[in-house]
Amino acid sequence: MILQHTIMPEQASDMAWHVDNVIWFITAVTGITGIGVYLAMLVFCIAYRRRTPNAIGPAPTPRILGSHSLELAWTVLPLLLFLGIFGWGAWVYNKALHPPADAPEVYIVGKQWMWKIQYPGGQRVILGQNSLAYSGDIGGEGFFEGVMVLPVNHPVKIVVTSEDVIHDFGVPAFRQKIDAVPGQYRATWYQPTRIGTYDIFCDQYCGTNHSLMVGKIMVVSEKDYQDWLDGKWKTGPGKNAVDGSLAHQGRQLFQKLNCIQCHDTQKSKAPVLEEIFNTRRPLKGGGTVIADDNYIRESIRRPRAKVREGWEPIMPAFGPDKVSEEDLIKVIAYIKSLKKGEMPVRTDDWVAPVGAPTEPPPPAKTTDGGTPK
Amino acid sequence: MSASAGALKHHFEDIEQQRGAERLGMWMFLATEILFFGGIFLAYTVYRHMYARDFADISGRLNVLVAGINTLLLLTSSMTMMFAIRYAQLGKRRPLMNCLLASAVMGAGFMGFKAYEYAQDYHEGLVPWASNFGKEVVPDPEHHDGIEYTLNEQWEKSGVSANRIRLFMTFYFVMTAIHGLHLIIGIGCILVLWGRAYLGWITPDRYVAVEVTSLYWHLVDAIWLFLMPLLYLAGPHHSLHF
Amino acid sequence: MSTTIEPQVHERPEHPEAHPAHVSYLQDGYSIWSWLFTVDHKRIGILYLVFLTLFFAVGGTFAGLVRTNLISPHGAILDNDTYNKTFTAHGVVMLFLFLIPSIPAMMGNFFVPIMVGAKDMAFPKLNIASWYVWMLGSIVAIWALITGGLDTGWTLYPPYSSRFSHTNVVPGVFGVFILGFSSIMTGLNILVTIHRMRAPGMTWGRLPLFCWAMYATSLIQLLATPVLAITVALLGIEAASNALGTPIGIFDPALDGDPILFQHMFWFYSHPAVYIMIIPGMGVVSEILTCFSRKNIFGYTAVAWSSVGIAVIGFLVWAHHMFVAGISYYAALLFSFLTMLVAVPSAIKVFNWTSTLYRGQISFQAPMIFALGFLVLFTIGGLTGIPLATLGSDIHFHDTYYVVAHFHFVMVGGMVLAYLGALHFWWPKIFGVMYSDFWSRIGSILIIVGYILTFMPQFWLGYHGMPRRYPNYPPEFQFLNIMSTAGYTVQLAGFLTIAAYLTLSLFNGKKAGTNPWAATGLEWETASPPITHNFEHTPRVVCGPYEYSLNMTQTGGRADVR
Repeated sequence: MILQHTIMPEQASDMAWHVDNVIWFITAVTGITGIGVYLAMLVFCIAYRRRTPNAIGPAPTPRILGSHSLELAWTVLPLLLFLGIFGWGAWVYNKALHPPADAPEVYIVGKQWMWKIQYPGGQRVILGQNSLAYSGDIGGEGFFEGVMVLPVNHPVKIVVTSEDVIHDFGVPAFRQKIDAVPGQYRATWYQPTRIGTYDIFCDQYCGTNHSLMVGKIMVVSEKDYQDWLDGKWKTGPGKNAVDGSLAHQGRQLFQKLNCIQCHDTQKSKAPVLEEIFNTRRPLKGGGTVIADDNYIRESIRRPRAKVREGWEPIMPAFGPDKVSEEDLIKVIAYIKSLKKGEMPVRTDDWVAPVGAPTEPPPPAKTTDGGTPK
Repeated sequence: MSASAGALKHHFEDIEQQRGAERLGMWMFLATEILFFGGIFLAYTVYRHMYARDFADISGRLNVLVAGINTLLLLTSSMTMMFAIRYAQLGKRRPLMNCLLASAVMGAGFMGFKAYEYAQDYHEGLVPWASNFGKEVVPDPEHHDGIEYTLNEQWEKSGVSANRIRLFMTFYFVMTAIHGLHLIIGIGCILVLWGRAYLGWITPDRYVAVEVTSLYWHLVDAIWLFLMPLLYLAGPHHSLHF
Repeated sequence: MSTTIEPQVHERPEHPEAHPAHVSYLQDGYSIWSWLFTVDHKRIGILYLVFLTLFFAVGGTFAGLVRTNLISPHGAILDNDTYNKTFTAHGVVMLFLFLIPSIPAMMGNFFVPIMVGAKDMAFPKLNIASWYVWMLGSIVAIWALITGGLDTGWTLYPPYSSRFSHTNVVPGVFGVFILGFSSIMTGLNILVTIHRMRAPGMTWGRLPLFCWAMYATSLIQLLATPVLAITVALLGIEAASNALGTPIGIFDPALDGDPILFQHMFWFYSHPAVYIMIIPGMGVVSEILTCFSRKNIFGYTAVAWSSVGIAVIGFLVWAHHMFVAGISYYAALLFSFLTMLVAVPSAIKVFNWTSTLYRGQISFQAPMIFALGFLVLFTIGGLTGIPLATLGSDIHFHDTYYVVAHFHFVMVGGMVLAYLGALHFWWPKIFGVMYSDFWSRIGSILIIVGYILTFMPQFWLGYHGMPRRYPNYPPEFQFLNIMSTAGYTVQLAGFLTIAAYLTLSLFNGKKAGTNPWAATGLEWETASPPITHNFEHTPRVVCGPYEYSLNMTQTGGRADVR
């Protein structure tokens, strides 16, 4: 217990407890033996120091050549001890190598100098703290602020490989690591036992930014994990929904369709869309409406049908030729997931995507601007 | 004592100690050579196990006739080296020189055939780092429809991987080249001995020089005896040609 | 031929001036050519000594750069690429240019012939050739490290080293290849010398333990180094082919090669290599402990055979460096088991050495401080190897600072201390002068203290997960990194102190007698410094090497005669 709060790093997985037990047993036993040897040395050096200072000459020492029984003892006893430790360590290693049969698989691809993590449902996280100085080497990619999320008390099997050189995916809090070898798959597993955030390190030298190929694992409750997978729960203020979730795909569409042009929090020409889902919105010309799925859908397909109080009817309609039904769902999922401060900021040097409208169209002469529902 | 006075080096007590040291030294050196070649033999064997089919295909295309001739040359040259030791012990200068020369000439013959074989490999597009790798037309043992196929095409049709063939050929060239280098060094040593015999410096009490050189030569021969089946006999040969 | 051994009349080595023809080896020719073309094993040892010292300073400078950079979590003085080249250079220089040749090529060359009672090594010309090969390899390696550098780590793992690193991989491995030959030549020479050139009466059971250690070391040098040679040759060919734009793969998975094969071949040499580095040190410790406690070694046979045992079993444990690389569970079991076996002979030695102190008459001059320091630090180093040999715990410690601390404990806390101890023990014999007793004790203590300060914190860092070869690390590790760097400066002070008083002793040290430590080995019965042919007359050995209790040298004379 004392050790846990002072000397030991956090024990955040099932295996960590086993590994720590082995480590501390070995440390204790070898420590005691070592101290025993040092004590013997100290006692002998003091008790048998030469009394005549610095004189080198005939000395009445006994002619001791050895002791078969003592030597046998300190051959056999260490051997037995070491073999016992070997057995225990082998048992722990065996546990670490063999995941439970039903553990879901998360795939991890290492590449200079980032980790690309893929979940069974298609969600993706990229970890890595590359300095932008090397962005030329790595295709323009810089800092990756992704966080790998895992549910507490559930086993997960990770399958690791590499695209280029040998890396190693290591998590000290779980006391596990596994080499990422190009051309081969390697697997290990964890069952996180404590909620928290833990370091990931690359543990096989791989070049310039080997020390920046790091990241974080966040262990959360099962509910938060499920919400995170769905894109509803974010790993921190200002973070996006996980890549691969509907909300994340919706975010990409939001930018590709250039909605950000007007729905910008800084210089908005349109209502801010953060935290509007299921709230009551006042309409132009009186009345209110609950901003549910249908309302949001209508606002995209036929934006001039219900205009918000205080804004002009200038939004163009996005029909099925611009946004398919599936894509519409993604955009709606994104809007539903938006919390305060999560809307990306549009800067002046953002270039609009090809084909996207760059200016809001002039106000329509008629009230009905889109195709019927 | 006087017969070996000239042969005894100053730091040894007597000639038997010196001879024992020289022989032991050579055996120890041979042990290092066995480990040196052993390393690459092991690596080759690992890949041969992993890629048995591909290695069988390419091994069957190597020139086993030339390899057989080379084997005979080396075995015979080892025999003449043993005669050389005996002649040195008996003090027969001329026969000694003839046996040494015979070994050297047969070794050189080996290298000559090897050079021919390397050139043939190049022309068949088997050099892995050359630009014509796999692009030359060679006789196809598997398809007899009268059309000529390049090696790449043949490999693609039989499902053999060009990368693995490249791996085999890399090992082939590296192993035979290192062996050839050792052989050339051996020929050099034999020629030095021949020169010394010519100058009359190899008296009966100095025969150990011939013995240790012969030991080295036997090792180079023995390495070839392992190298040759590993490389040339890993797959069926479809023709015997020069 | 008489088989009885005549009653021994101990012949004192005559004073050199009495026989002008038998001058000391240092005075036997003063020109630079007499040194560069020498075949005298003692002069060759000195040639090695000069450059070993230089290379140690070079490797230590790289270490200083590494430690200084680690003061800051973001790299204090070097960018990432330069840091990577620096730690690689530190490893390559310290391992191949210092640790491997240190005791074998310097002390081994100098003392093995004398200790067995011979006039020279079995192959004197091979000996000087080994020095030239070493110089050539060093020049190539250092040239590669300095111009452009090498950033692969000394372990050179492909495919990074063969396809992705744009540094001097080919010249670097070529240098290592050449250096390997020097190691093989030295090993071969020592083996044949011990086998064939022992003086009458010098049976295997009477050989000093230093010779047993040198024998075991030479076995490894002879048999393991060729495998390194072929491994780096293959790597060099692959790297060169990539550099030239016509890539061939031997270990490259993109071309159907297997990078794990490289690891197996590399570690097949590099694990026994670490025993090349430590076993000679163990031999030295046996010599010093017995002399400074005036006692026979406790358990001569066990200590002698444990050196050979470590060498033999050491060939069977290489894949314990690969427990997380993806070897099969059964392979991992086998190698962990064998690694546990190799720990036992080392444990036996530690217990036997400690028992040697029992009821001795112990004095604490510098050689003894180094030997006792070795005992303490090597024990920690060896014991911290156990969690690394144990499968379950190695997963956590692999490639962290725990491993770095472990191997520095055995290599620096063990081997470097033993090297310095050997230097201090045999200095009066090699040069005929004595150094300052006071300053030597200060220097040794500074090094031991500085060493502990440098490397103890690293165990904690490794346990908490700080990986090796990281110029950037999480800020919570900064304090211990700074402490570790502080230890470096203390060590530096120690090394400079030692260099200073040892150099000064060459110019104005007190003349040393034949046997200033009243030791019992054959080397203490020759002049200080020895004559070129070591002995005036071939010695006849009548007893074992550590008869301190009987005050008897190996030829039967009195040990306390100076």
